[in-house]
Amino acid sequence: GYEPPQTGYPAAPQAAVSGMTQAFGQMGFGGQQQPAPQAQAAAPAAQRLNPLQPVDISMQGQPFHVADLDLPPPTIILPPNSSVTPSPDANCPPKYVRSTLNAVPTTNSLLKKSKLPFALVIQPYATLHDAEDNVPVQTDQVIARCRRCRTYINPFATFLDHSHRWRCNMCNLTNDVPQAFDWDNIKQQSVDRWQRPELNYSVMEFVAPQEYMVRAPQPLVYLFLFDVSYAAVTSGLLATAARCILESLDRIPNADRRTRLGFMAVDSSLHYFSIPRDGSGQTEASMLVVSDLDEPFLPTPEDLLVSLAECRSNIENFLGKLQSMFQTTQSGFSAMGSALRAGHKLISHVGGKITVLSASLPNIGYGKLEMREDKKVLGTSKESSLLQTANSFYKSFAVECSKTQVSIDMFLFSSQYQDVASLSNLPRYTGGQTYFYPAWNAARTEDAIKFATEFSDYLSSEIGLEAVLRVRATTGLRPSTFYGNFFNRSSDLCAFPAFPRDQAYVVEIAIDETISKQFVCLQAGVLHTTCNGERRIRVMTLSIPTTQILADVYASADQQAITAYFSHKAVERTLSSGLDAARDALQAKLIELLQTYKKELGGGNMGGGGLQFPANMRGLPMLFLGLIKNLGLRKSAQIPTDLRSAALCLLSTLPLPLMIQYIYPRMYSLHDMPDTAGLPDPTTGSIALPPALNLTSANIVPYGLYLIDDGQTQFLWLGRDAVPALVMDVFGTDDKNALKQGKTSLPVLDTEFNERVRAVVEKSRDHKAKGCGSIVVPPLYLVREDGEPSLRLWAQTLLVEDRADQGVSGAQWLGMLREKVSA
Amino acid sequence: MDYEALKEQWSEIEDRDGIRLSWNTFPSSRMRNNLPPHYKDISEHAIPPELHPSSTTIEYRLPKPAPTPPIFLFVVDTCQEEDSLKALKDSIIMSLSLLPPHALVGLITYGTMAQVHELGYTECAKSYVFRGNRDYSAKQVQEMLGLMMAPGARQNVQPMQPQPGHPAPPPPMGAAARFLLPVQQCEFQLTNALEQLQRDPWPVANDKRALRCTGVALSVGVGLMESSFQNAGGRIMLFTGGAATEGPGMVVGPELKEPIRSHHDIDKDNIKYYKKALKFYDALAKRTAHNGHIIDIFAGCLDQVGLLEMKGLSNSTGGHMILTDSFTSSMYKQSFARVFDKDANDNLLMGFNASLEVLTTKELKVTGLIGHAVSMNKKSSNVGETECGIGNTCAWKMCGIDPAASYGIYFEIAGQGGPTQMQQGPQKGLIQFLTYYQHSSGQYHLRVTTVGRNMSGPSGDPAIAQSFDQEAAAVLMSRIAVFKADVDDGPDILRWVDRMLIRLCSRFAEYRKDDPSSFRLEKNFTLYPQFMFHLRRSQFLQVFNNSPDETAFYRHVLNHEDVSNSLVMIQPTLDSYSFDQEGSVPVLLDSTSIQPQTVLLLDTFFHILIFHGETMAEWRKAGYQDMEGYENFRELLEAPKEDAKELIQDRFPLPRFIVCDAGGSQARFLLSKLNPSTTHTTGSYGGVSQTAQTIFTDDVSLQTFMDHLMKLAVSGTG
Ligand SMILES: [Zn+2]
Ligand SMILES: [Zn+2]
Repeated sequence: GYEPPQTGYPAAPQAAVSGMTQAFGQMGFGGQQQPAPQAQAAAPAAQRLNPLQPVDISMQGQPFHVADLDLPPPTIILPPNSSVTPSPDANCPPKYVRSTLNAVPTTNSLLKKSKLPFALVIQPYATLHDAEDNVPVQTDQVIARCRRCRTYINPFATFLDHSHRWRCNMCNLTNDVPQAFDWDNIKQQSVDRWQRPELNYSVMEFVAPQEYMVRAPQPLVYLFLFDVSYAAVTSGLLATAARCILESLDRIPNADRRTRLGFMAVDSSLHYFSIPRDGSGQTEASMLVVSDLDEPFLPTPEDLLVSLAECRSNIENFLGKLQSMFQTTQSGFSAMGSALRAGHKLISHVGGKITVLSASLPNIGYGKLEMREDKKVLGTSKESSLLQTANSFYKSFAVECSKTQVSIDMFLFSSQYQDVASLSNLPRYTGGQTYFYPAWNAARTEDAIKFATEFSDYLSSEIGLEAVLRVRATTGLRPSTFYGNFFNRSSDLCAFPAFPRDQAYVVEIAIDETISKQFVCLQAGVLHTTCNGERRIRVMTLSIPTTQILADVYASADQQAITAYFSHKAVERTLSSGLDAARDALQAKLIELLQTYKKELGGGNMGGGGLQFPANMRGLPMLFLGLIKNLGLRKSAQIPTDLRSAALCLLSTLPLPLMIQYIYPRMYSLHDMPDTAGLPDPTTGSIALPPALNLTSANIVPYGLYLIDDGQTQFLWLGRDAVPALVMDVFGTDDKNALKQGKTSLPVLDTEFNERVRAVVEKSRDHKAKGCGSIVVPPLYLVREDGEPSLRLWAQTLLVEDRADQGVSGAQWLGMLREKVSA
Repeated sequence: MDYEALKEQWSEIEDRDGIRLSWNTFPSSRMRNNLPPHYKDISEHAIPPELHPSSTTIEYRLPKPAPTPPIFLFVVDTCQEEDSLKALKDSIIMSLSLLPPHALVGLITYGTMAQVHELGYTECAKSYVFRGNRDYSAKQVQEMLGLMMAPGARQNVQPMQPQPGHPAPPPPMGAAARFLLPVQQCEFQLTNALEQLQRDPWPVANDKRALRCTGVALSVGVGLMESSFQNAGGRIMLFTGGAATEGPGMVVGPELKEPIRSHHDIDKDNIKYYKKALKFYDALAKRTAHNGHIIDIFAGCLDQVGLLEMKGLSNSTGGHMILTDSFTSSMYKQSFARVFDKDANDNLLMGFNASLEVLTTKELKVTGLIGHAVSMNKKSSNVGETECGIGNTCAWKMCGIDPAASYGIYFEIAGQGGPTQMQQGPQKGLIQFLTYYQHSSGQYHLRVTTVGRNMSGPSGDPAIAQSFDQEAAAVLMSRIAVFKADVDDGPDILRWVDRMLIRLCSRFAEYRKDDPSSFRLEKNFTLYPQFMFHLRRSQFLQVFNNSPDETAFYRHVLNHEDVSNSLVMIQPTLDSYSFDQEGSVPVLLDSTSIQPQTVLLLDTFFHILIFHGETMAEWRKAGYQDMEGYENFRELLEAPKEDAKELIQDRFPLPRFIVCDAGGSQARFLLSKLNPSTTHTTGSYGGVSQTAQTIFTDDVSLQTFMDHLMKLAVSGTG
């Protein structure tokens, strides 16, 4: 049995800060610079931050272990009494905002010297539904903001002048405290200011008053665009999607009974559906077909976008019939571009979500695309052009949508080339998402269940509407670049026609001026309309200590946040300069960091094959290797363009925990899992997972059973020498050759082991436990080591530390890095 | 034979063979220059005939079956008030029961946009929508309806392998299976579609007209029929509630402040859309006629709908044109129902896709046809060199033909180059009419009518004059005048009518040169000048009292009706009712016929008007007819109503029925038809009854007209 290390590196508990920092301070790492006297004077009680803890990350030393990824980021150590209340929730938890640096250089030159990025990974929502993530809400509509920099009052503000005034923690301006600050106008009673959520919680929401609205809060609108071409109908997409919507009508947020739905079907024509109101005497929807694709127009001004509450029964009736309406189709066309324009026309006066469900390449009408993939160019330098947009329509239309508060989600299902690269522009600029189900077919139960489950969760998600994200920071800091799916409306404003709950954003921060404060504050605000028609602002305020010492910077660097940042950078690089450039840049950055560390902080190669790096960053080389080997970036002539494009979408949108898992998947050994694994933990009640294994085939024994899970796909790896008893216990047959390989689901057996294996597989998919919202249910593939070779090879691509295809092994990688660093 | 006997004989032939000739003796060619060149002969052609044993007409039922049952494509305007739309829907639903069960039906509705309803689709109500402001080509329509594959359609398509468990897709379905189906099969769908039909849902601002894309709706309908049913009999029945305001064929802009064009506007060539619309509809009419389909126009609107622009659609295809105030009116309902009249064998009284060919013996040549037809451009040796109406052909196509349809066919006498005259015995000129058409029973029919008439003797043969049928001649002249009026302007036409009349009188009247008082006409010529007098004053040539739409409508009907109906239109009948006599007495169509103690019944064919003289009106208002002891007054009021009902019986379209009193505003309909023997220019009341109505008009009276005619005829200056 494998014993996982109990801890990775010690995280300094706040209570014992001073003692420990003193202890580490005495170790006196060579080459460490002394803080400038001047700065010392400015900050007399020099804050002791996380100590630098160098380790040998080479294979011979204390290399990265996957369990490191379960550790929290380096602690943010703020001076005592930094916050105005003693609330334990005064600073932003990493679940919502993670900084690449938990000790911020006071100067840009120090940041430059570090070669590290300073960026925030912002994930405003940790779940699909509010009920699962209780964020305090300030409902009294008294919102104190700084007159100058518009910062929302937060736990790091300070009160002066008998608490009549408050000082902005960003720009130091003194502001009046609103008169109603201590008085609840709604409840007509005085309020204890110190109980106000905005002074106690760094993550909270304001209910916004009138002045935060350009117009009355819009209702939630879903417009479904169904592909009804031959491919979509015969794959069962139309039937499954219609049925799923039908069964999820109760899950679609509609608390205010204002939610409106619209439906369109697309082949070579656009099919609109006019759905009568319940009780109008009519129960049948009528279909209006428009084949004139040149300039989209609406065939009727009425009943195309209908109230879910008022037309519920007729909507059900319609959805029940939708499949049969197109059962005889044989159209090989999809005018999806024209349909999008028409759909935009239909909802742009309200705004909302266009949900595209398509199994075909849009091959007629507006934004018509061509089958441009050429197997011969895969793996060559020309491959990158296939990852770029083929038709400018997709970007320009998306921008138009953004301006009118229309967001687009793409659910793509083709078994043939669908040009995900072009289509994914639509979600990219509208706050949407691309969900890709290659070669999906409802005839496969696993496919049907996966999509239906995900789509139902998707529909239930409490998305925000008409949203903007803005990041404010302490004077001297400036948000400079934004990454993620939205449209940058102005230099510091990200616009989201709909705000999803399963994505994260990266915002790079520039240091424009020397920071004289002991800690800096960064505040992300998401102004949005809830799907219940309320205007709200979600505010997240993060404070981070500053430092003039490079060692502090390295000791507090968050390797996962850094990886997330470089994942976005790599996608950007891929789309602009190609795959080679993106991979090269990642490798060069890693070498640069190791070199910097060696040069500035005395680390580097330690002789005897060793390679030194801070403990908190020792996973970085393997995370970068995982990134370079990811489906989206890997050098290979075998990866269909659409799969790559879809992977790039994930690499630029996933919430951090899922992104890290996508880059460095989880592997669990099941055949020998501890007795406690697969069963509820007695204290927490949640299923205990076996210890995760590093991704190397050295960890795989031929008689074993493993789960390899990158969050998007799960592989159940059955070794070639697996004993019949194991096979029997898990699969209910002792003949492993009789097992169906590929996409599958585990049989439900009455054996304890089967139950535990299923529990582990299930738990591994539980993103709530990972602290993020997601609809994804990874499909489970059974891979027999001695079975279908292509399946085996595919599963092995997840073994990041193995040598495979055109990629180096983990050991080779570290060896190469060491060579470069010592050179 | 005296005139009355001759007339009886002609009428009998007309009843039997549907033929009536202006001249029943053909002048031989030497006399040709003495005669007005054109109005030689008329063929009044009616089908199907009762087969008379001694008939000169034989109708053959041919073994060839029709390609399809008759097709009825309803094109319905939804820009209407609810009650009007409801009435229209009801009438169409009602008509379904009048159709043979195998007849194919289809539905297009339109307003801001045009919708083709896919009646063959049973999963839900389904329709194809076309934007109202785009001129779709035939090919586009067919592609957009999925009636043909886009060119190269399959090339770019990813191969589609049928997957196991899914049946192979059925073959593509044409219009027949989707849009035009047997009424017995799709009655439920069609009735549903009609019942669910709502007023055009697009909002209309207060200062705007509803957007109505009549042109697109029609062009889509024509395209639909064209795709699958070329040369299969069928009618596109347009029901329009107003003028086209959108897209190709628009007649007036949507701004209410912009009025629809009048005759004055047209006269001044001051109209924005007229020429474009006319060009659009004429092209569409040509296409439709080429396809062998009919377009009927049913207008239900107080205002104009653009009949002037659209008239070609009906005129070229043999369609009906029904102009009513509203679809709620009985005038519309009864006229519409009448379209579906059936014969004794329960076959619809309508034929499709007819061709009419005229053969003649060498003495005669055919110069043209005036009626609802298009040329088939068939040249033969009997085609005359001059052209009257639709000429330069000996065959015409009538997409729609019905038992009441009549055609004016014009002949000339063969030129001197022909074979020598005066062979042995009285020579006969022969004309044969071959009418080939799709009978509504589903078979083709060929109807052959042969007419033979003696050729005249030497110059001055009195047989010619005796053979003159002044009624037929008047109607034929009217058709020429109206045909010319459609291209020429008013004054020229009137001068032409006058000139022809003077020349006829100079030739056939008895007179001493330059002595008007000596002027005498034979009995079978006496009414002819009067017909011409009324023709000159009629709405057919004096258009300014009517809207352009009305003019188009009146002219359409004139070109369809037989001699006697046409005569009523040219010279309305007026009957008088009084206590002095039993029943009615025909009276002169003259202002002197208006008397205080009479009730008048005017029949203009388009209007039936009951007019109460001043006293009668007062009594009626006082309610005497309801009082005991005044039964005779009640009867007097009832009598014209009874007679009017009689007149309406088989009139198509149903006339407008007006009841009015002396001095009432509606009385102008009567006054406009009367000979102004007592106008305000008469000066004194001398010679005329003091109580006669004075007509305010600058028209000349019949007497003045006759005086001029006699003077000119005898002077030889005509
Ligand atoms: Zn401020
Ligand atoms: Zn007619």
